Amino acid sequence: MRAVAVGQAELKLFWRNRTALFNSLLLPLLLAPVLYSVDADGVPLVVGLIGFALLMAVYYNLVTTFVARREELVLKRLRVGELTDPEILAGAALPSVVVALGQMVLYTVVVGVITGVALPARPWFLLLGVLGGVAVFVLLAAASSAFTRTVEMAQVTSLPVLMACMLGSGLIFPLSVLPGGIASVLKYLPLTPVLELLRAGWADGPVLQPLIVLAVWIVLGTYAVQRWFRWDPRR
Amino acid sequence: MTAIEVRGLTRRYSGGFEAVRGVSFDVERGEMFALLGTNGAGKTSTVEVVEGLSRPAEGSVRVLGHDPFAERKVVRPRMGVMLQEGGFPPDLTVSEAARMWAGTLTSPRPVDEALSLVDLAHRASVRVKQLSGGERRRLDLALALLGKPEVLFLDEPTTGLDPESRRNTWELIRALLREGVTVLLTTHYLEEAQALADRLAIMHRGRIVAQGTVSEVVDAYPSRISFVPPPGIALPVVADVESSGRVTVRTNELQSTLHELLVWAQHHNVELSGLDARSASLEEAFLAIAEEAA
Repeated sequence: MRAVAVGQAELKLFWRNRTALFNSLLLPLLLAPVLYSVDADGVPLVVGLIGFALLMAVYYNLVTTFVARREELVLKRLRVGELTDPEILAGAALPSVVVALGQMVLYTVVVGVITGVALPARPWFLLLGVLGGVAVFVLLAAASSAFTRTVEMAQVTSLPVLMACMLGSGLIFPLSVLPGGIASVLKYLPLTPVLELLRAGWADGPVLQPLIVLAVWIVLGTYAVQRWFRWDPRR
Repeated sequence: MTAIEVRGLTRRYSGGFEAVRGVSFDVERGEMFALLGTNGAGKTSTVEVVEGLSRPAEGSVRVLGHDPFAERKVVRPRMGVMLQEGGFPPDLTVSEAARMWAGTLTSPRPVDEALSLVDLAHRASVRVKQLSGGERRRLDLALALLGKPEVLFLDEPTTGLDPESRRNTWELIRALLREGVTVLLTTHYLEEAQALADRLAIMHRGRIVAQGTVSEVVDAYPSRISFVPPPGIALPVVADVESSGRVTVRTNELQSTLHELLVWAQHHNVELSGLDARSASLEEAFLAIAEEAA
């Protein structure tokens, strides 16, 4: 795994970057009370926190990371080395993903202990949801970076995905409060199937459809990255 | 044996602009080949295709017998690249950046050794953002050398270096050439090409307009003799007269023309003040070519 060398360097950079630290580590903690007030049950809180980790620690962080490395000409430099293109992207994404996974485990354990959430009856759906979610949001971050000229602009260019996922995937309020027509459309957002799979880890729920939606997003994301990802700055 | 073979290389950008138009050259094993040209001549566009960063629109490229774009996996472990503009994360230290790079390579040399080669060992714990422009170039060179490359690409390696660092870099490159490393250099310092290159090509507007050894390229241009003669005297040779009174004689036979001139001067007891005789230089050839082609 040669990409790990890039990942280790990225991890050092992550610890030296206060904005990234705040967005990934502290922001979710500030949101916990909001999520907790929605539903006093522990499972939606765990699911919500995992969703936020995917959006902030994986997606938003990686949009800025990919843009920063591109503008610093780091991606261009890496590209004349021995790594393949997917290895370069994976290396750059590695620390954000590791940090996000660590948070997810931490939240689950802490919330589980406090609220007495039972162990998931079907943990493999939980695992599929997390891994699929990580894949989708790494790809979406790489695709979004192509439309982001500067690190500052990432705050704007990441909004469509962030807002759609926060409001439309049942993260802040359950989709059941929306009219049926709208709710059925929102099922196709990238975060919705992830959350559905996470919930399915604890309780019976639809599994096949979210898996298909997730797979389609992974295919679309891969295509978008191959088609639009930029390795050097716009001139 | 040929290390790099370029045939009819054409590169087009998405807007349709042809940056490189049918360029062909060979670089032999252990040789240094320099690509010269004015800004925008297409040097970097050419080198990027040879490095395998992009596929040629037309023509073919072989590096160590392989297609550098399609067979990246085979070629990359055997080559080292110093881009004209490459970057490192500004918040990594020099040794962290070098260690990251070493971790991506098949058989890297020790990081300390690579940093010592470019005189950066004493800056190992300094953040990249605190390096001077010249130090950053040397770090880039250190990374290019980390993989013990057989073929080395240097795109304007000494731009931004002070004269001493430039000399040191030249010495380092000479040592690599002695070890048998093949080097493809682009530069706009003509004395750099003259000092280091076995053969060179001069590019202008996407084409190679002159190619060969330094002397082959330069020999096509006349040598110059210049001096200030006493006023009102008739010279035995054809000369251009400048407003300052200095005259310049252009000749393809420097030795015999100079001899003729000196014999004449002694015979007539004429003093040729500020006498200067020189063979054609690469600079002269370069300027003449750029002028002709314009």
